Amino acid sequence: MPFDRELLKGSIALLILKLLSERDMYGYEIIQESLRRSQEAFEFKEGTLYPALHQLHKRGYLRSEWRTGENGKQRKYYALTAAGRKAARASEKEWFFFTKMVNAILSKANP
Amino acid sequence: MTRLDRIASRVVLLAKLPGNKLRSEIAKELRAHLEDLTEEARSYGYDEQASAWMVNRRFGEPQEIASAFASVYAPERLAKRLAQAALLVIASTVAVVVVIGTVQSIAAICTATSILSTFRDIHWELFGFGAITAGYCSLYAGERLFPTSLARAVLPSVTLGLWLSAIFVWLIPQHAALPLAAFTCAALGRLLQRVEIPLVWFAGTALPLLIAWALFGRLISGWQFPWLVWLGLTICCKVLREVVQFLERFVFSESFA
Repeated sequence: MPFDRELLKGSIALLILKLLSERDMYGYEIIQESLRRSQEAFEFKEGTLYPALHQLHKRGYLRSEWRTGENGKQRKYYALTAAGRKAARASEKEWFFFTKMVNAILSKANP
Repeated sequence: MTRLDRIASRVVLLAKLPGNKLRSEIAKELRAHLEDLTEEARSYGYDEQASAWMVNRRFGEPQEIASAFASVYAPERLAKRLAQAALLVIASTVAVVVVIGTVQSIAAICTATSILSTFRDIHWELFGFGAITAGYCSLYAGERLFPTSLARAVLPSVTLGLWLSAIFVWLIPQHAALPLAAFTCAALGRLLQRVEIPLVWFAGTALPLLIAWALFGRLISGWQFPWLVWLGLTICCKVLREVVQFLERFVFSESFA
């Protein structure tokens, strides 16, 4: 189902923090993982993902390091810091509250 | 340089990121991402042309990615620009003080007067030193901000000149003419340095002085040697040009890369 891309843009930080709270990932992997989990609905654009990763890194929520993979390729992995974990929990909580309120309004409007 | 390198470099270049380290880090990261996209395309059995098309489509417009990166690093870029501006102003002021001090000292020796006596009005001259630096640097800043429009490039100088006029007339009404003339000389000198004809910028330092002389008469106590004032301002413009070129080549180079 098509949806407004701005909705995804607004929640990109939460999605990144959530995915990275499970394991360290690099940019391409984050895109692939979000595609898989959203059944191909959420495709982060590079112009959104990488600047968002760098913004979160600047805020101290992420740390990054270059690692060499099995095929010898170097990739920049991102991982959550302690502040990032805290932010992830807070963002998730905020999101559930928000969606709960939106759902409450929508369900009243459509009894 | 491969096609993927070119795409990554284009993003980094358009984003005007501060610092070589950051630029190469982001280029490397985007390059790795583009390689992953290419591998994915090949795994679908696409040929070279089709995989290039898919990579471009998935990656998006370099300009769009660059502007997103630019906004993330905007505070760092601004801080760097301010630090560079401060360095330019300090280096220029020191150069002006050295040049004017040297010219005055040589003049004192040549006229067999005490060097100390030539610096008795130094407190007024300080306004002049600041004005020369401000005149030259404001025009240089205008050139950097608006490289394609001369009319816009002079705007910072004109604005600053008007502000300085008001401040000088308020603070030092009896001595405002010389620093304002010096400001105009330096700005006009810088402006005429752009002209290809050699030495034409000498007129830039002479004209405002002649106008000020015609309007206000003696501007300083040592005005019996007006050519000396012109000489000091002209050498200042020459030295300031060298200062600017040195900083552009060795300090600011990565910002303008």
